[in-house]
Amino acid sequence: MPSTPQLSPQEEQEKLLEEALNVVKTQAFQMKRCLDKGRLMDGLKHASTMLGELRTSLLSPKSYYECYMAISDELRHLEMYLVDEFQKGRKVADLYELVQYAGNIVPRLYLLITVGTVYIKSNELSRKDILKDLVEMCRGVQHPLRGLFLRNYLLQCTKNVLPDAVEDQSTESNGGESGTVMDSVDFIHLNFAEMNKLWVRMQHQGHSRDRERRENERRELRILVGTNLVRLSQLECIDVEKFKQSVLPGVLEQVVNCKDAIAQEYLMECIIQVFPDEFHLQSLNSFLRACAELHPNVNVKNIIIALIDRLASFAQNEEGPGIPPEIQLFDIFSQQISQVIQNRPDMAPEDIVSLQVALINLALKCYPDKVDYVDKVLETTEEIFNRLNLDHVEHGSPVSKELMRLMKIPVDTYNNILTVLQLQHFGPLFEYFDYKGRQLMSCHIINNALENETLIPAQENVDSILNIVNCLVQDQNDQPEEPDDPEDFAEEQGIMGRFIHLLQSSDSNQQFLILNTARKHFGAGGDKRIKFTLPPIVFAAYRLAFRYKQLQDEDENWEKKCQKIFQFCHQTIGALIKAEQAEIPLRLFLQGALVAGQIGFENSETVAYEFLSQAFSIYEDEISDSKAQLAAITLIIGTLEQMSCFGEENQEPLFTQCALAASKLLKKPDQCRGVSISSHLFWSGKSAKSGELRDAKRVSDCLKKGVKIANQCMDSSVQVQLFVEVLNQYIYFYEKGCEQISVQVLNQIISKIRELLPNLESNEETEQINKHFKNTLEHLHHKLESSESVGQYEGLVL
Amino acid sequence: MSFFGFGQSAEIDIVLDGQENRRTAEIKTEDGKREKYYLYFDGETVSGKVNVNLRKSGSKLEHQGIKIEFIGQIELYYDRGNHQEFTSLVKELARPGELTQSTNYNFEFSQVEKPYESYTGANVRLRYFLRVTLVKRISDTVKEQDIIVHTLSQYPEMNSSIKMEVGIEDCLHIEFEYNKSKYHLKDVIVGKIYFLLVRIKIKHMELQVIKRETTGTGTFTFTGPNTFNENETIAKYEIMDGAPVRGESIPIRLFLSGYELTPTMRDINKKFSVRYYLNLVLVDEEERRYFKQQEITIFRRADKIRKNYQAALSHHNPSLLSDGGGNSKTSYQQHQEDEEEEDGGKEAAEKKDEKEK
Repeated sequence: MPSTPQLSPQEEQEKLLEEALNVVKTQAFQMKRCLDKGRLMDGLKHASTMLGELRTSLLSPKSYYECYMAISDELRHLEMYLVDEFQKGRKVADLYELVQYAGNIVPRLYLLITVGTVYIKSNELSRKDILKDLVEMCRGVQHPLRGLFLRNYLLQCTKNVLPDAVEDQSTESNGGESGTVMDSVDFIHLNFAEMNKLWVRMQHQGHSRDRERRENERRELRILVGTNLVRLSQLECIDVEKFKQSVLPGVLEQVVNCKDAIAQEYLMECIIQVFPDEFHLQSLNSFLRACAELHPNVNVKNIIIALIDRLASFAQNEEGPGIPPEIQLFDIFSQQISQVIQNRPDMAPEDIVSLQVALINLALKCYPDKVDYVDKVLETTEEIFNRLNLDHVEHGSPVSKELMRLMKIPVDTYNNILTVLQLQHFGPLFEYFDYKGRQLMSCHIINNALENETLIPAQENVDSILNIVNCLVQDQNDQPEEPDDPEDFAEEQGIMGRFIHLLQSSDSNQQFLILNTARKHFGAGGDKRIKFTLPPIVFAAYRLAFRYKQLQDEDENWEKKCQKIFQFCHQTIGALIKAEQAEIPLRLFLQGALVAGQIGFENSETVAYEFLSQAFSIYEDEISDSKAQLAAITLIIGTLEQMSCFGEENQEPLFTQCALAASKLLKKPDQCRGVSISSHLFWSGKSAKSGELRDAKRVSDCLKKGVKIANQCMDSSVQVQLFVEVLNQYIYFYEKGCEQISVQVLNQIISKIRELLPNLESNEETEQINKHFKNTLEHLHHKLESSESVGQYEGLVL
Repeated sequence: MSFFGFGQSAEIDIVLDGQENRRTAEIKTEDGKREKYYLYFDGETVSGKVNVNLRKSGSKLEHQGIKIEFIGQIELYYDRGNHQEFTSLVKELARPGELTQSTNYNFEFSQVEKPYESYTGANVRLRYFLRVTLVKRISDTVKEQDIIVHTLSQYPEMNSSIKMEVGIEDCLHIEFEYNKSKYHLKDVIVGKIYFLLVRIKIKHMELQVIKRETTGTGTFTFTGPNTFNENETIAKYEIMDGAPVRGESIPIRLFLSGYELTPTMRDINKKFSVRYYLNLVLVDEEERRYFKQQEITIFRRADKIRKNYQAALSHHNPSLLSDGGGNSKTSYQQHQEDEEEEDGGKEAAEKKDEKEK
């Protein structure tokens, strides 16, 4: 060895390749020169020397490929020259024999293929024999790399000359045999089998420590083997029958028998990709049976999924013919997949599930109407889980991810929970998830219903769904001890609240059953959940009461039913109170009172009274914050003011109670505001018989009391603010025509405000008050000047 | 020839009948040159004309008679002085007398037996020639004219294939088959090698055609020391590249017409033999060679116009290999015996025959 510095393997390769390419270049040049001069034999000798470069064992597959490409380029010149000569009629006798004298087999076979192709091109009748001879003779090269490239050259050269006719075109008289498409099939089958053997053999050569490198090299070479399949797919005379009877079985036999994972995985995918869908459809069973027999290391899942995806998109292609009705696509896949799973006890559960995912996709895409197909997949999956003893699928694990994918597919495809509910095995399969998984899936389902506004029209449906999404409804045995993030929890329960509004039946009685069922489920949800879920139920119940009211002509029992609804609501609200809620029950009672009053059924006054009195007790017992108290009493007053169902005997205590409660508020400003607001009860409050009360005296009393309380305020800023507010009340009632209020009273308050206002510290609050007062005066100015209200405000001093 | 330039001398010239239409054939001389002579076959009449041309006109040439001989002889190079004539025919062309002018004589050897093929080998030559002798007192004038004889054979009636299973125990078992045991000179050897067991890393495999020329006859004690074997590899033909695995079958197709072959000659006049062997050689990655020789018979058949490419295609006969079974066992046994008998004395230390391991 020369004492040059050690070359890296890559540099070594580059050097070797460069040397090889130089020889190729020189010899090719000589070859072409000889051919130009018509010295064929010398030309062939140079070709042979050039081809000698392909005898090397030193080049890596990549470099060998480059060398091969360079040489096959040059051989094209030779081929073209020979075709040309043949066409001119200058046949070189025995050329086919002549090239066989080459002592080395690799150059000899390259030349033989080249010359053989030329013979075929010049005389088609010979091709059957020549093709057979070439493919047989190539057996002499058993070195994997060299053999693969040699046979690839064979495929390359014969690309356009393979017989592709159903019947032999030749006749007895011309003696030759041009061959049929079946001869081409045999030819490719044999070549494929040999190439595959060589390719697989690479795996078993050399040191085991080079395994990874070897596998990479094999992957680089796979296209050489795959070309055989491409060539098969290019034969136009192959119809479905031939494909089923000969082409595919021949290929599959090789694939299965080679027992090599890399080869099987690649070739199966190759088969899927190169042949048309129509062929696959007619040969599914054999293909899938082959899948079941593949090496355990083969990722069969990917293969089957690839096929399913292809067929599914074929089925969906609107321009295509679709799946022929006689092919039970789903049944075939279903059976064969279970066979595959059975044959592979070591298959990862997630892979099993992803096969089911593929299957469910197939069912949905090809047979969108067949819910039972989807159900069948779920059933199978359940059985598998049982068999594998997988009863707790941990969130985040591959199985969980796949299972989630599987179960989301029907949800997202149907976009209708009711259809999902028809799947008998959907619910049971749910139980295999752990808490987190169930939670995510449940949210997914509910969100789907919300997005699609799917109405749930029957009690049983409600029951099923709420059982499925149980983990959003009730506490779970396996839920984590740490509570959820409050915001997340609120969001989750929020969607449940929204979902309740989808529980709608067009039949009112059914609707009542629905609400009862929902109530039962959600009622068990615990204190944290019910504040989100029970109010919507109550509101839905109120809506239902209105519906009965509308149905009063059709349903003679409507009043009793309304009564029942209010009992239901009363009790539901009671549950919220037990859960130490106050604000919400208060409002729900008030709303209930309003609804009862508006509907006006037989017993509605009693119901409304009861609801209001319940609201009062909450106000009294549960609400302690003064601000909240004011707000609550304002609400109660507002509600009462709206109602018109009460007779004298019920109204009086309620009104009095309100005024009293307002005057008993703790803080003076609150008292002042509460009392002045309660004045409205006596003016526009309505009784069942006589309409609005218009009790000017009591209005005036309330307002006077308000002024009095305002006078007692120590904080001057608040005091002025209160005066302005009371002034507004006065103006309101004055304009409404309350005779107990005179312009003098207005003048007094205005001058009082004017007196106090300048003493206030100037700050933002004062600014506000000032503005309010100014606006009020402006209103009065406007009234004074307006022609419509001439004389109304006579004597007003502004 | 005459000394001192005195007297008359004659130039003798043999003209064969129909020689302008007669085919010629080439043969190598001892020193490797190629010479072209007229071609005759066994039983063919050799006739023609002998021209005796006098160099000087006007003076006469006295002679003791003129004769022509047809001679077939074997020359062993190590025994130059002692040529074996296996055929020797004489015709007298003229009685002793005087020649006064150039004269022609017709001659004819009718339907001459020519039992052997002309041959030039490493140690032996078999040649046919015509010799005209003009007998004179001092020195005869002699003219020799070589001819070439080709022996033609019919297609043998029995021409079974050669089929054999050989191997080294637990290492290599192959079954090979050549389609015939007898090939004509332009024939094609078609065959297959079937690998039954491969536990060695084979690098390549080649088929060789070996010519073995044996001179002398080993069976006779007095010529014993004079027996020579000369092996020549006529063809070296790679038939496989790389390492096969069990179950592979490798095709063989070797065209003989491209090589310089002669028909097989067995025990020619008890002087020499020329035999041909097919030698199948497997070379492993450590350059160890494994081989098996099989004798084949090569014969000459009448030439005819050669066919086109189709003859160049082999006619694969897969059944040749598949019916192995008991049959091949027998041949394996035979092979063992063969080994001891024939190949036992083989030199080449680094060569290992499969069986001998």
